[in-house]
Amino acid sequence: MTKTPYAELLGMLSRHRGVVGSFVVSERDGLAVDSNVQIGVHAEAVAALAASLHRKARLACGAAGCGVVTFLRLDAEKGGVLAAGRDDLVLVTISEARANVGLLRVEMMRAAKALT
Amino acid sequence: MPDEIRRLSDDLARDPSSLVFMPLADALRRAGQLDVALRVALRGLDRHPYLPDAHDVLARIHADRGDLERASDEWEMALRLDPSHAQANLGLGFVEFRRGDLESAERRLSTVPPAEQTPGVAAALAHVRSALGARPANGAAVVVPNGSGPAEPIVAPEPTAPIEAIAPVETVVAVQTPAPPPAASAWTTPRSTRAVTEFPSPDPTRTKQLFDSALDGSDQHALLVDGDGLVLAGAYADGSGKDVAEVIAAELAGVSSEAERAMRHLGLGAWTSLLVEADDAIVAMTPAPNGSLLVVTASRKTPVGLVRLLLDRVLARARDWLVRVS
Repeated sequence: MTKTPYAELLGMLSRHRGVVGSFVVSERDGLAVDSNVQIGVHAEAVAALAASLHRKARLACGAAGCGVVTFLRLDAEKGGVLAAGRDDLVLVTISEARANVGLLRVEMMRAAKALT
Repeated sequence: MPDEIRRLSDDLARDPSSLVFMPLADALRRAGQLDVALRVALRGLDRHPYLPDAHDVLARIHADRGDLERASDEWEMALRLDPSHAQANLGLGFVEFRRGDLESAERRLSTVPPAEQTPGVAAALAHVRSALGARPANGAAVVVPNGSGPAEPIVAPEPTAPIEAIAPVETVVAVQTPAPPPAASAWTTPRSTRAVTEFPSPDPTRTKQLFDSALDGSDQHALLVDGDGLVLAGAYADGSGKDVAEVIAAELAGVSSEAERAMRHLGLGAWTSLLVEADDAIVAMTPAPNGSLLVVTASRKTPVGLVRLLLDRVLARARDWLVRVS
């Protein structure tokens, strides 16, 4: 089994408290390029939806003249989805409510700059 | 008073991140320098968005400016941050009285602990109860002498009606002259017939301004979008002044359903907000009633936490408006 260039990054994110999965997804087609998720997480479905949300946010921000999207955070009652993109690739993390979102945000934005 | 303001200004200049902005803003308000007071309070809230006392001070400034809607929003925010905030309860009681909602005003004022009951509060409560006692048995609203009556129960306060007549600010102002005696005008039936701008009717030209009074500056915008990506209310102009609200709404069509599906797959419960950080702006969204989506944008210099509070404030307004037009 071949390791992708993102394996180390995803492993690092998944070790954070409250993170149940992370993956790199193509925004264009919603396909997961690589993932590191706990058993039971519907990685492919969530990857596609996260990519779609990121695309909509990017297009809306473009229309509004807000510039390039750097970070996206979808909050729910028991956790949320964080995403940081660069070009076509989006780094996505699924977190429970106990996760340190501030720390994840900083690490994801830093990591997203290295996505190629 | 000028000495106090000067001293507090010096203190704030020495340490811009200190909490002295609260007594300074309030001293300026009491001195009648409302515009300066507003600027000081807003700047302080930029740094300390989660301080209920700071929202209380801002509410008082809005109230003294005659903007009861914003005052009400700020007091509600203070109560969200601290549900036992007595001054915010008092302030909202004041607003409800002004709106002719005497039952609510009485309920709020009754919750004020005896220790917080200044002579102004006691007088206000007595006045409200007296008015309630005089109310017709069918519960109809009390008709105000100026004839605005139940059809127009919302009237602006007289400029001379200071908010501290019912809610002095000893609790937040470290250095302050004794609270003035209750001004009778604050709790007498309003005389002005100038209507406070309330939620607009579905008049298309007015729905664009629905959120204006809930926003804090020209760099903030709010849009209410239905499930099909059509604008319901609010406005958005890009940097060149071009109205791009419909384009943004169209791009955001389906965001609610996709967020909902993602959360369902993950078993994380209902989605509550979506925050997007871009190079030049922060965009926050939240589900609104009837499958609609509320979108708020603010400049990048706005603290992210403050944008979330702003979203709450605008959502409260959107909910009220949707109830009215539905």
